[in-house]
This record gives sequence, structure tokens and C-alpha cells, in this order.
Amino acid sequence: CRVKECYTEERLESRIDCLMAAMECYNKARNEWAAKVTEEQVKLLKYQRKMEEELNKPYLNLSLHRTMYQLVKENNHKLAETLKKEFKVPDRRFWWLKIRALAEAGDWMELDRF
Amino acid sequence: MSHLSSGRVNLGILRETYRRELLECIDKCTGSKALVWDEALTGPVGLIAEYPLLKEHEVDKMFPLSSGRLPQSSVQNIIFITRPKLALMNVIAENVRKEDQSGSFRKEFHVVFVPKKSLLCERKLKELGVYGNFNIIDEFSMELIPVESDVLTLESESSFKECILENDSTSMYYAAKALMTLQSLYGIIPSIHGKGELSRHVCDMILRMRREMAGSEPQITPQIDTLFLVDRTVDPLTPLLTQLTYEGLIDETFGINNTTIKVPPEKFAKQEGQAMAEVPTEPKKIRLNSAEELFAEIRDKNFNAVGPVLSRKAKLISAQYNERHQAKSVSQMKEFVSKLPHMQQAKQSLSTHTSIAELVKEVTDDDQFMENLRAQQDFVNGLETDKAHPYIDDCIAKEEPLIKVLRLMCVQCYCNNGFKPKVLEYYKREIIQTYGYQHILTLNNLEKAGLLRQQGQRTYPVIKKSLRLVVDEVNEQNPNDIAYVFSGYAPLSVRLAQILTRPGWRSITEVLQMLPGSTFEEIQQIPVGLRKRKASITSTHSNTMDQKVVLIFFLGGVTYAEIAALRFLSQQEDGPADYIIATTKLINGKTWLEAIMENVVPEEGNPFLM
Repeated sequence: CRVKECYTEERLESRIDCLMAAMECYNKARNEWAAKVTEEQVKLLKYQRKMEEELNKPYLNLSLHRTMYQLVKENNHKLAETLKKEFKVPDRRFWWLKIRALAEAGDWMELDRF
Repeated sequence: MSHLSSGRVNLGILRETYRRELLECIDKCTGSKALVWDEALTGPVGLIAEYPLLKEHEVDKMFPLSSGRLPQSSVQNIIFITRPKLALMNVIAENVRKEDQSGSFRKEFHVVFVPKKSLLCERKLKELGVYGNFNIIDEFSMELIPVESDVLTLESESSFKECILENDSTSMYYAAKALMTLQSLYGIIPSIHGKGELSRHVCDMILRMRREMAGSEPQITPQIDTLFLVDRTVDPLTPLLTQLTYEGLIDETFGINNTTIKVPPEKFAKQEGQAMAEVPTEPKKIRLNSAEELFAEIRDKNFNAVGPVLSRKAKLISAQYNERHQAKSVSQMKEFVSKLPHMQQAKQSLSTHTSIAELVKEVTDDDQFMENLRAQQDFVNGLETDKAHPYIDDCIAKEEPLIKVLRLMCVQCYCNNGFKPKVLEYYKREIIQTYGYQHILTLNNLEKAGLLRQQGQRTYPVIKKSLRLVVDEVNEQNPNDIAYVFSGYAPLSVRLAQILTRPGWRSITEVLQMLPGSTFEEIQQIPVGLRKRKASITSTHSNTMDQKVVLIFFLGGVTYAEIAALRFLSQQEDGPADYIIATTKLINGKTWLEAIMENVVPEEGNPFLM
């Protein structure tokens, strides 16, 4: 199973390769949904890498939800919104996330504005 | 271990048999011994033979099996006791090699496989070049472990996953073997009923095994009348729901492992007379079984009925203590004193269970618990099942434990006869986005097991109605129906067993067709001389002797709530059957799903390698 394999890969590049291979398998098996999420996972990994380079903080291995949570906590609302749009996160869940993240960060000003 | 022998069929005999076999295994080598345990086995074997007994047989040391070197010891023999799993062979080989290199004086190595030797494992040991080091290679066929006078378990955690997801039915072979052992001790079981593919498989195996040993059967009058085999796939709903009996809730809260629970020590420190300064930090271990009078009384009650019993007991005990003021004569005093040990024991047991009940109540009083329960009960009633449920959404948004979310989702899915494709994909996506992509494997497993699926035939409403799964008027204090164990839902599996004994399955043929897997019935012929005589009308035997003894085997696991429901049926005065329960594993929704889930821990990505 390619998916399991990808998690043993230490290098991001080979991990992405693995996922691409998994995606192909899913496509062959006509499992469109799984292929789609796999594609999104690759996209997420690329985002995370870019963010790690630019912001110099660890994001890899976080789920999408956790990534956004982290961003909101670090006051990086714009990026969080971008991710929300890019991955079509439902509003309801995003609001919960935002409230909880802001509360944890103790950012009452922002919470009030929200 | 008197609590094993008190049932209609004395399971103590089974335990004795295993005990003897284990000791024979150990006694094969002479001199002092150290046992190296595959840790999954220590608990179950501990129920068969305690350490003092082993000590009598020159066992000086016990170690858990782990990689690296064996701890130093001066014993002559090292016995590895292990399951036949390939991964464990590597560890054993490493142990042996390290021990050889260390150059200490020579020890003899032995290995005992539980429950069966495996060719693959032996070959593995040869490959690793240590096969020759072993003096004795033996097997100890411990199969069904009696944990109560009416409960037997194979303690095989992964059996459901192996059978359903990996197409590996080894555990069913063990189940069949175990049934043969039971038949050799308690007589051939005349009638067999079953539901489900695994059940069919096991039934075929025991019928074949019996043919193979034709003629060499023990001549015993059957003590068990009926065997009922049932697959967990026939009723995947019950274990997913939160159990509401005392023992069930203890299991949901703390997890019962080989009849033992671990609880936070703070609550229990005071009563043992320890000074508050030295509150133990280790969790306290408590053993739960019917040897304890009080626990036997309350374990199967709905949790709401436990409080009143405990307070009644408390009053009773203090009343008993007060009797001493009325004791005037010496003989009265003497009588009082003779009762003291029993009273003290009762008091101790009462305070333990009061503390446990308090801890459980903290959990059940929580809003989260109530909301979760309400959602479950709505689903079971067939309400609000067709759309994504707001409570599940909220749980995901708040990142509640994944298992809890999946459990609820599977309940909803079952009660809705599967999800609409859109709802299913929405849920799956939410899980992946929130908990991480790696869970795609778990979701995949759940779909393969049929716990998450797309909408199919609308069978649930019919099943619910004709099996009376939902009972509105349920009395938690003095139950009149098995539905009390879930405060209103009657476990499907137990309902099937109940209907089987009375009025019989012919009345529900339609429903049986809707449930997965084949339905079957077999008769095992028994020599006329061994048949049970029908009790004549004039016989002085009490009514209970006319009760049939039914062995019900849950392939893929059983919950404490189901056991409670079966015991409730056994205790009915006009109940037609007395149940003995056997299973591959005692489970709850959490442990069951955990065993199905794929546990992938991401390797730390190294940013410098990019």
C-alpha cells in the first residue's frame, strides 16, 4: 500500500512521489474520491513546505485543520483564509477553529472583532 | 477461583485442564527456569495459573519479551512463551544470540507456542540460525479462557480485522478447536444454530473435525444443549453504542483488561488507612469478578440502578454494626464477632465500588456524554439520520477524539441503511482535513468492513420493528426487557438469541434474510444411551433444571452489555434458557474500532533533506 509507504519516507520529495503513485492507483481503481483527496494532500504538503521556508516554523505532518489553527494562532489570518478557500473548508468548522485558536492565543481583540 | 464453578456447567474443569497442560509443558525441562513472556499472554495465562503456583514448579524468574539482552539470571532453563507471530521470532532470536555471546554459563532454551506451533515461525527461527539452540519446541493449546462462571474468551484482539479485512481465518480455526475441547469435556452439543459467514465456517470445521475423530469421542451425557454461533457482522450496531450497565460503563471509562481495571489512586488512598502524605502515584489495580458478592449483584444493572443499591447496602452494614449495642449476653457477643470478618469485607467492597461509581458518574454527568448519548438514541430511533448531523460536525470542529466521531458516524450509517454518497464523502473529507490524510486508510478499512457504506436497501426500519430493538417503556431499576442495558435499545444479537429459544426463528424468517450471512441449523447425532432424559412431569426437579443450556459464541467480540442482557434472560423465572457466553474477545466500541483502525504515525519530516 503506497499510502503507508509514504509515511515512512523521510524526504518530502519522495513522499510526494509516493503519493502521486498512490493517486494513480486510486485513479486506476476508479476511486475518484480517494484520488482527489490524495491530490489535495500533495497540495497541502507543498503549501506546508513553502510556509516552512517563508515563516521558518514547522508545519509538516499537521492536518489541514491543525495547519490553519496554527496560522490563526500566529496571527496569520490571511494565509489561513487562503487555505480555507483553497481547500473549501466549511464555514461552520472554520469559525469554531478560529474561535478556539484565538482563545488559546489569548487574542481577545481579534476575537471581539470576529 | 470459586466463581468459575458456580454456573450450570462447571467451567472450573476447563481451567483445571489448561492448568495441567501448562504445568506439563513447564515440567518437561528440569532445573530452575525463567519464563520469558510475550506480553499479550501474561494477562490471559495469569487467569489460569498464578505466580505462586509456577514457583512451585521451579520458575524463579519471569521477564517480558523485549528486544536486546535478557536480564541476568542464574537459571538453567529459559522458556520463551509466545504467540506464533513472525515479528516475535526476531525478538526471540536476538535474545538467544545475545545470551550466547555474553559467554555466561550455558543455559538451555525452550520455546512454547500458544496456542499452536506454526511451521512459518519454526522456519523463521531456522532462517535466523537459532533453531538448533532450542531444546524443546512445544505448544500449549490454551484456547478459551474462562473469566467467569458463564464467560469464555479467546482473547484474540485482531480476530475481527484478520477475518474481515485480511481474509485470514486462523482465529476461526482456533475457535473451532476450542469448541472441540469443550465438547470433549462437556459432551457433544446436540443442536447447532448460526447466523453469518464466519459462523458457517466454524460450524463446518467442527462438523468435519468430529467426523475425523469418528468413534473416539468421550462418552459423556451432553451438558450443553444448544450452540448458537453469531458473527459480529450480523450485529455491528450494538458494540458501537455506549453501554449503560455498571460493568459496561466501567469498561467504557477505564477499560477492563483481563478482569482488571486501573483507576486513578487518589480516590482510593484514604480508605486503606494510608496517610495522606503518601498518596500513591501508580494507578490502583482492581480486580473485578463475581467472587465479590457486591460486584456480582450490581455489575449487570443499569448504572442508574446502582446508586440505590449502594446506599441500601451502606445502611444495612451500619445497621449490622449497630447490633453490637444490643448484644447483651456473651453468646450474642460471640455471634456478632463471628460475623465481623464478613462484614468488614462487605464494607471494604462497598467503599471500593462507591468510589468507582463516583468516578463513573463524573463521566456520565458530563454534558458531552449526555449529548453523545442523545445523538445515539436519535439515530437508533431512526431520527435525523439522513443528513450530516450537527453534533458530529461540532465534534469534528472541536477535534474530539477521532474514535468517538467514527463510532457515532458508524451508528448513524447503520441506522440510515448507509449514507447518501454526498453525505459519506462530506464526512470522510471532514475527517481527513481535520485529523490528517493518514486516516484515509482507516476510512478504507471501515468501508471494507461495511461499517461505513453507501445507501443500500432500507432494511433497518424493518429489523428495528420486528426485533423490537427500541423499547419505549424501559424500567431501569426493575427491568422487564433486555433493552434496559442501553436504556431503551435491545441489543440485536441478544434479541436473536432470545427469539431462537422462544418462539424460534421461524417467526422472523424475513428479518433473518435481511441480516448478512447465511442462516443455518445442524443436528449432531448422539448415541441413544447418552441422551438427556426428558424430565417427567412428576419429577421433583425444580423448574430451572428444565432450562436448556445454550452456549452462544460471538465471533468477532462481545460487549459487557450483551453479556448482562443474556444473564438477565437466564435469570428470568420462566426463562427457557441458561446462557454461557464465548467470544473471540471482550470488546467495547472503542477497543473494537481501535483494532480495525490503521495506525500510521508519520515519520518526522526532515526539513534539511528537502
